[in-house]
Parts: sequence; structure tokens; C-alpha cells
Amino acid sequence: MWRYALRRTAAAIPTLWVVITVCYLLLHLTPGGPFDGERALSPAVLENLKAKYHLDLPVWQQYLLYLRGLLSGDLGVSFRFSDWNVNELVRAAAPVSILIGGVSLVMSLTVGVAMGIAAALRRNSAVDYCVMGLANIGHTIPSFVLGPVLVLVFALMLGWLPAGGWQASDWRYAVLPIALLTIINMGTIGRVTRGSLIEVMSSPFIRTARAKGLPMTTIVLRHAIKPTLLPVVSLLGPLAISSMTSAVVTETVFSLPGLGRLVVSAAVNRDYTLVLGLVVLVTAVAVLLNFLVDLCYAWLDPKIRY
Amino acid sequence: MFHNFQPALTAARPSPQSHQKTPLRRLNPAVRFLVVWLGWTFAATAVAGLAGTAQASTAQTSTVQALTDPPSQAPAASSQIVAALADVPPPLDRLHPTQVLNRGNGAEPESLDPALTSSTNAAAVLRDVLEGLTSTTAQGKIVGGVAHGWQRLDDLTWAFDLRPARWSNGDPVTADDFVYSFRRFFTPATASIYSTTFQDFLLNAREIVEGSQAPESLGAHAESPTRLILRTQFPVAFLPELMAHGSFLPVHRATVERHGSQWTRPANWVGNGAFTLTEWRVNDRIVVTRRPDYWDAENVRIAKVTFFPIESEAAETKLYQSGQLDMTTTIAPGSYPLHLKQRPEDIRNSPALTVRYYSLNNEDPLLKDVRVRQALSMVIDRDIMAQRIVDDGSIPAYSALVRGVAGGSPTTYDWASWSMEKRVQHAQALLKEAGIKPGTRLSLVYNTSDYHKKMALFVASEWRTKLGLNTDLENMEFRALIHRRQSGEYQVARDAWVADYNDAFSLLTIVRCDSVQNSCRSCHREGDNLILAAQAELDPASRSAMQTRATEMIMLDYPSIPVLQSTSPRLVKPYLGGYGDNNPLDRYRSRDLYIQKH
Amino acid sequence: MSLHAALGDTAPTQTRVPPAVAGRSPLQDAWRRFLRHRSAVVSLCILLVMLLACVVGPWLLPHRFDTTDWDALSLPPSWSNGHWLGTDELGRDVLARTLTGGRVSLMVGALGAAAATLLGVAWGATAGFLGGRIDNAMMRVVDMLYAIPYLLIAILVITLFGRDFYLVVLVITAFSWMDMARIVRGQTLALRSREYVEAAHAIGVPTRRIILRHIVPNLLGVVVVYTAVIVPGVMLSESVLSFLGLGVQEPMTSWGVLIQEGANVMEATPWLLLGPAAFLSLTLMCGNYLGDGLRDAFDPR
Repeated sequence: MWRYALRRTAAAIPTLWVVITVCYLLLHLTPGGPFDGERALSPAVLENLKAKYHLDLPVWQQYLLYLRGLLSGDLGVSFRFSDWNVNELVRAAAPVSILIGGVSLVMSLTVGVAMGIAAALRRNSAVDYCVMGLANIGHTIPSFVLGPVLVLVFALMLGWLPAGGWQASDWRYAVLPIALLTIINMGTIGRVTRGSLIEVMSSPFIRTARAKGLPMTTIVLRHAIKPTLLPVVSLLGPLAISSMTSAVVTETVFSLPGLGRLVVSAAVNRDYTLVLGLVVLVTAVAVLLNFLVDLCYAWLDPKIRY
Repeated sequence: MFHNFQPALTAARPSPQSHQKTPLRRLNPAVRFLVVWLGWTFAATAVAGLAGTAQASTAQTSTVQALTDPPSQAPAASSQIVAALADVPPPLDRLHPTQVLNRGNGAEPESLDPALTSSTNAAAVLRDVLEGLTSTTAQGKIVGGVAHGWQRLDDLTWAFDLRPARWSNGDPVTADDFVYSFRRFFTPATASIYSTTFQDFLLNAREIVEGSQAPESLGAHAESPTRLILRTQFPVAFLPELMAHGSFLPVHRATVERHGSQWTRPANWVGNGAFTLTEWRVNDRIVVTRRPDYWDAENVRIAKVTFFPIESEAAETKLYQSGQLDMTTTIAPGSYPLHLKQRPEDIRNSPALTVRYYSLNNEDPLLKDVRVRQALSMVIDRDIMAQRIVDDGSIPAYSALVRGVAGGSPTTYDWASWSMEKRVQHAQALLKEAGIKPGTRLSLVYNTSDYHKKMALFVASEWRTKLGLNTDLENMEFRALIHRRQSGEYQVARDAWVADYNDAFSLLTIVRCDSVQNSCRSCHREGDNLILAAQAELDPASRSAMQTRATEMIMLDYPSIPVLQSTSPRLVKPYLGGYGDNNPLDRYRSRDLYIQKH
Repeated sequence: MSLHAALGDTAPTQTRVPPAVAGRSPLQDAWRRFLRHRSAVVSLCILLVMLLACVVGPWLLPHRFDTTDWDALSLPPSWSNGHWLGTDELGRDVLARTLTGGRVSLMVGALGAAAATLLGVAWGATAGFLGGRIDNAMMRVVDMLYAIPYLLIAILVITLFGRDFYLVVLVITAFSWMDMARIVRGQTLALRSREYVEAAHAIGVPTRRIILRHIVPNLLGVVVVYTAVIVPGVMLSESVLSFLGLGVQEPMTSWGVLIQEGANVMEATPWLLLGPAAFLSLTLMCGNYLGDGLRDAFDPR
């Protein structure tokens, strides 16, 4: 088991390295730079700006400098937010994104699985169509439409919740963003659970359990649940990563100070270091998540052993 | 699964069919699952949420305990001066007990170091935490800041007398602080973006920026700790107004030298403004609180200001509507008519010293001919554009100078008062003379934004229906547009200019001969010389006339197509007092505002 | 002619020959199962109508999608003036714009899905069939791509290289093919150990022919189902990019761009949002139901 973990970690490093290098080249080999601004700069000032950020060195030298910094944990200074370095920006933004993303993932998992089970057990009935229809809302209505609609209804018309912004001490600011992300993800999970449970319920061992007269609760919750959750778990990895995409939209709509907004300002402002820092972070997290998902898989499916 | 089989066998018992079922068991299985799972969901969420909140609130933030001491007595001398200069103070009985202001502030500031910033978002915050020689009130007037008076000693020399003010750490604010700050601003090593814009005024500033002279040669020196002498390159009549710009804010030398690039962190911050920086979380908020040892603290009503960096105008409007913001940065494009209907008292619209125009590449083969440029300008109906297309309070502009500017008056064209049919006829004749046939293509570039798209579509449609020209619209990211404008790879480009200080000289930067901001690559020598000559003129009225005449000459050459003068549309809660409606530079210090009872 | 006549019997007899039983291919089986799914059939019909409307509609409508009408700014939907879904702030007809935008969105969906499918099938089938170290390496690449933050790279690439239509499609495709590759690889691995493949290999059929004649047709079911799933995903990705200002450029428009513009003025002029949002949602929903139906049709249980 630990050898497997070690192997996976070792395999992750080339992934990270390839991703960083590709992004680096993309950023540095395209026209324009981070200092193109409305006001023209004198050559002396431009020279000094470049020297300050090591942009006057040849690309390969900058690359090596960056890698060296990376190994010592220093992600560099941001261009866009010039008073801060990337470590600080990420450290401030990450908790918000993790909180919203994590809680909504847990909620969409539980709600989605519940809906899927309910729909599968009452297949092709009104309950099935209702539940699946509800679950599909997130799939079909884009998040940047649903978000403003939620704000309109709950914040402006009913006045129950704030329209946006973030206060770590006040739970009400997190409700709408989490709700949005949950609605978006529960559809996928619900559908997969439903399909999976339908399949599992027709397998021999379930038939045996039913023939023996076991109550439905025991059958579903004790016997069927593990094989049912297998495809759901394999979905978790990509889902968590696609949360990043949803996070950008959610954070823009609700003005949350998370990683999603950093991503947009970094890319649009060609903030090289911030972009690379975020790439490193997200890739590392993705690799970790995939690894955790594989572990879950092993726990659920006794046939898989490392 | 399989190993669960054994216990299942022994536990197998059909559920009791009797009426002794528990309430939960009475529900059918599907609904039961939903109930049970949802119960777990809420439990899990509650736990996760609490854990997450605990973690988030202990996350790394730089906070300093807010100052809660009551304002102390300011020295008697300065309060007399304050009474003379300040606007009518608000009646105390109408004030709300909680004087907390929440401002929308657009994009996150790039920095809070005045030498390194160039955005209005940063300037809005800096205006509250730092104070320069002079300052602009929320009513749009230039008043003394750290300087309580100034005299023009001769054409090129000014003296500023400083009042006894203190930095937030107790140090006195001296003339040396300003000398240090100005030298730092122009030193190339600081890499200040705005230094190129202001290098023309103080003596030797340009040479210092270019690196050919040392910073010590700058035309600024301290005659005494309370008297600053500034020398200029040419007679600058508006130097006091210039000094109100954010680039000339002082910084505390010891702090900058000790902390380097980290001096702007709240924990390290030392400033001399009415407020001090207490909290700064990127993309979240910037909080400044009232300084009791500010020289005019007794006239500062607001106790705490929070700036919220919200880029999306639509999101900002929603926060305003829900009461989380007391004033916004702007009004979301397209929603002006809606707000006019729903909350007309909330809309404040001061005309701004901003001219929106289309740069024409004067070196392009198609646009070389002045007749073509004139035709393109004539047929655009700026009234429809202002009232129907952008519909946000903007007004038509026919010149580089706009309404409200000092040191010159807006000029116009004689055809501006003709009927549109006459204008179109004339324009068509001009095009024919110049040999341009209908069906000719030209390209217009603009940066991605709904606002600019609307304008571009309108202009393209005008040129098509009235002149038969086909315009290829191309939108791109802002930096890419700047690149194209500066390198000359365009025919028509969307452009705009905001004056840095209230004088025609600032607006004329866009049409000057060797100006880097002149993307049109145009040069009207005679007009340019007249502008230069006007700077040597000491009498304000003749100076103004000369600048106006120069503008007229230059605009008759049609270097560009001015279309609109922007205003500063904003949503401001009716209970927010002190907000002036005639503030062309759009500078609103929080110290001039106050919250009334509501 | 009858059997008896063929055999030389001169007297034709009145024998009742039972009608020949026509054989049914698996495809026909799947089709019949599909037809039993009411929701999937209805979805298919709606999608076809939508496709037709978007392709042909803009030519049939009284207003063009880019005709600005300064006298008809921001009008609500009305029957009388021909603007059935209202106009936007430049006086352009919303219905015409929605249908024209639909062309672009559907094209992005189709192109993206087709490219992703082709790439995914090629990659997955090769990896699954060749197995061993090559399979490992190829799947390692897929894992690497999974880890990359797609949106960040998309924003970066489009910001750097401009908002070209084909670039947008390319970027979206580049990150949609991995699922297909994984699924196809799994299926290929399973098929590879089937008896008829072993038999073909034993009698010396070249690898290429085995892949083409035995593996690929059996992949069809899985591929069709997942293609139907990819299309809504691609369309949604395109609309998210448009929301961030990175979608297709003027004068082209897409549902994503229209929705983004409409969402900004949602309160003042809701019809600008409702039209395109309804069309997009309907398409996505039908796509999902269609995918469900296809999955049940090809893989009944």
C-alpha cells in the first residue's frame, strides 16, 4: 500500500514538471508582457521594471531561477498585486475556495446519492422523473444564470441572505455559493447513482438477498451500496477538478475572495508568477485527489489490492 | 459484500407488519432513504461548515486593532485655517450614530504605494490614508492638505508652507518627506509607471526619469522643515492643482527603507491621512479607520471605511441593492435607464474630465486625407449615441477639451449644428472628392466590453448607412489594444483619456506632436507651438484663450474623432451626505462624507 | 418460382410457406429499444427541430440578427412588430440572434464532440489493444492531462492568442477527449480477450483488420452514448468561456455570449436572458435524455 503511494507520488512529479514547463513557455514566448499599460513608459523605467522581476534575463535563465525558487517553496512575486507575493495570495484565497468547494462536494454527494437511490428504487415512476428532473437543473441551466437568479430571489426579493461578499465569521455568506455548486453537481452524481444502483439491483447476490426476505433498507444500505458507489467515486476526481471551473464562475458572481478570482486576474493580466503558482497548486491538488479516489476505490472494491 | 452475507443470514427477519412500526418505518423505503440521507447531509454540512469557518477565520490576515480613542483636540491655529477652508460641516443632530462607510471600489488595487500605482481604484484608497501638499474635496475644490498656504515666488518657483501635521507613528510631517517622496517617484529604480506622465513639470524630472541625472537634482528642496520650494521647467500655473494628484503623496521614509516592498502591509503601515490602513485582504476588502491624531480629525465624521474590490458591475449593483454598499464605483452598463426608473435619487452623475474618442491612424493610406477623416467624424450622430446607445448620462463631445475643464474651453465644429441630412450630404461629397468609393472596407479595433461594443456597432452602422463604408470590427483584450495603438497597427481604434489634473494641458496630451499618448501619429505644428507658448503666459485668461485657440486649430485637422464626454455615474445612498455633484476629477475623500440618520 | 417448379414438377401445389423470418442486427435491436424510451424519442425530435430552426430559421425571419434599429431599442416581446422575443439595447431582434447564436453553439458542440470522440477513440483503442507498457504510457499522459486546470489554461491561451473561433473549439476539445479515451480503453481491454478476437488472431488476421472489423464496431455502443454526453458538456464549456469574455467574437454570437449579455441586464430586460437561456437549457436537457435513452438502448439491463 505504501509502495503504491510512493510510486504514485513519484509519478506525479513528472506530471507537475511537464505542466509547469508548458505553461512557462506559453507565457513567455507570446507577444506582449505584463507591463503594457495605458500610459507609455520611458525606456529607463521599463528597463528597471524588467530588472526588478528578472525579465531582462534570457528565458531559460528565468526558468531555472523559477524552478530553484519553487524547490524552496517560494512561488515568486505577483505582478498584478505588486505588494504581495504569490504564497501569501494563495494562502489567503485557498481557505475560501476549499471551504466552499469541500462543503458543496459533500452536500452534492449526499443529496445526489440520496436522489439517485430514490429514483432507482421507484424506477420510471413519477418520483423518478421528478427527482431526476430536479437533479438535471444544474446540468442544463448554466451556473452564471442560476447564480444571479438565486441572488435575485434570496437576497434581493426575500432579503434572507447577503447578495455577495465574504465574511469568515458569518455563515450566511456561504449559503448561496454552496447551494449553487451543490445544485450543479448533484445532477451528475444522482444520474450515475441511479444507473449504477439499477444495475446492481439486478445482480445475483441482490436477488438472493431479496429472495431471503431481507428488508429493503438492509439490502440497499448494507449490500448494494458499495458496488453502487464505485462509479460515483470514480466520478469524484474529475468532479472535484471541475469544481475549479465552477469556482471561477461562482466567485465572480458572488464576489468571493477565492482562488477562482485569482485565476482570472492572473490570466488576464499575464501575471506570470501567479499563473504558474496557481497551476502548480491546482495540479498538485488534482494529483492528490486522484490518489485519494484510488484509495477509496480500493476500500470499496475488495478485488482491487495494491 | 460477500463477507456481509453471513451476518445477514442470522439477522434476517421480515420487518413487523403490525401497527407498532416506528414513524420512520412507516414511510415507504424510497422516502425513508431520502429523509435519512438528508438528515446526514445536514449533520455533515454543519460539522464541515463549522470546521471550515474556524479554519478560514484563523487564516493569514494582517490585522491591527482598530483605534477606538475619541479624536483629540487639534492645535488652535490649524483649526482656524480649517474653518476657513472646509465646507459647511454637517449638523450634528442629523448624524447617524454609526459612521461606517462601505464603498465599492472596482478592481483590486495593484498596490498601495503611491509611487507604484496608476489606477483610480488605488487612488481612491490612497486619498484617505495619505495626504499631499494639496487635496481635492468631495465637492471638487482644491484645498490645502499638508500645506496650509502657497506662494508663487516667480515664474518658475513656488513655495509651500506646511502645517504641523504628524504621521501615524507620531513623527512630524516635514518638507524633507516630500523631497524624499518626489525624488523616489522619479527615480528609475522605483520603476514608477506614472513618472513618465509627470516628468514634464518639475525641474530635471525628465532627465532623472531617463537616467541621465541623479535624483538629487530634482527641482524640490526643503528650505526649512515647514517650507518646501518647488521649481518647474516652464511656468506651470496649475502647480497647486497638480500637487493634489496621487503620485505626489508623501511616504514615510524610515518605513519604506526598513520594510522595502512590504511597507504597505497594515502591520507596517505609516501614513499621514485622515485614516490609517488597518486591514487588507486581497480581493476581499481594504479597511481604513479614523486617525485621532490627524490635524483635522475633529471634522472627520466617518469612523471606518471599507473598500470592496468588486470587478463585476452587475454584482456591485446587487450588493448596493441589498444594502451592503453605500456607494458604488460605477453603474453597470445598460442598467442606467432601469435605475433612473427605480431609484432616481440614488443616481449621481458628475461630468468627468474624460473624453471618449476614436483614434485615427493619420499615417494609414485610407485615412491620410483630412477630408476622409472629416467625413467619418461628421456623420456620427453623437446625440443619439449619448442618449440612446450608451444612455448613462454621457454627453456629446466634439473636441479634446470637455466641459468643466479649467484653462481652456471645449471647442466644436460648425457642422455640429447642421441637420444630419446636410452633414451626410457634405460628408459624401468629401469622400467623393477624396476618391473613396462606397464599399471600401476599414477596420475598427476596440477592447472587449459591452459598452465599447455598443459604441462600435453604432459607429459602424452610421458609416455603413450614411457613407456606404464597411467596417470590420475586431475586439481584443485591453493590453492587446494598447499594443496595437502604440505600434500603429490599426486604422481606427477606440480610445479614451482621463485628465490627471484639472487643466486643458492635461487633456491636450492626446493631440500634442511628440506625445506618447498621441496614438494618431498626428502633428499640428502651429497648434502645438501655441500650446507651448500658452504655458509661458502668466495671465490666466489669455492662457486659457491661447489653449482654446490651439485646440480649435488642431481639431480642424481632424486627428481623431471625439464622440463622448463621460460622466462619473454612480449609485449613492440618499443618506450619504457630502457627495458633491461637480467633481470633474471624480475624487471623493471619505473624510468629507458622512452618514445621516435613516 | 416455387420449389416444385424448379424441381420439374409441372403441377404447382397450393402449399402455404411460412413467411421467412428476417434476421435482426444488434443495431436494429438497439433502435427498437430506443424507440420504447418516450423521453429519449421526444428529445431527439426536439433536437432535430432545434437544428432545423437554427440552420434555416434566420433566413425565414423578417429581421436579420445584426440589423440595428435605433427606433426599436430594448423592446419587450410582442407579436405585432415581428420581434417575437423582443429586441436588445441596439434594436437587434432577439429571436434572430438566438437562432444564429444557436448555429455557432451547435457547431461548437458538434465539432468539439466529433474531435474529442475521434481523438478519444483513437487513443483509447490503441492503448487498450496494444496493452502493456505502451498502454501504461498512453494512460499516464491521459492522467497528466486530467490534472491540468483546464479553465486556467483556456483563459491563458485565449487571452494570449486571441478569440479565434477555431482556437476556442480547439481549447475545449483538448480537454474533453480524456473521458472517451478512458472508456474506450476499458472497453477495448474487455473485448480483446473475447473468443472471436483470439480466434481471428489465431488464424492470422492482421492486427489492423482485427481492430477495424471486430473491435471498432463493438465499441460503437459506448462511443455513441458518450458522444451524446460530450456534446452538452462542450456547449456548456463554451458558454462559461463566453461568460468570462473569452468566447466567440463579434459579429459571431453564441448562446453563451447572449446569455452573458442578458444576465447583466436581467432585471431591466429579462427577455434578453430568457430566450437564449431557454434554448440552451432545452438543448442540454434533450441531450441528456437522449444520452440516457441511447445508453439503455445499447446496454439494456
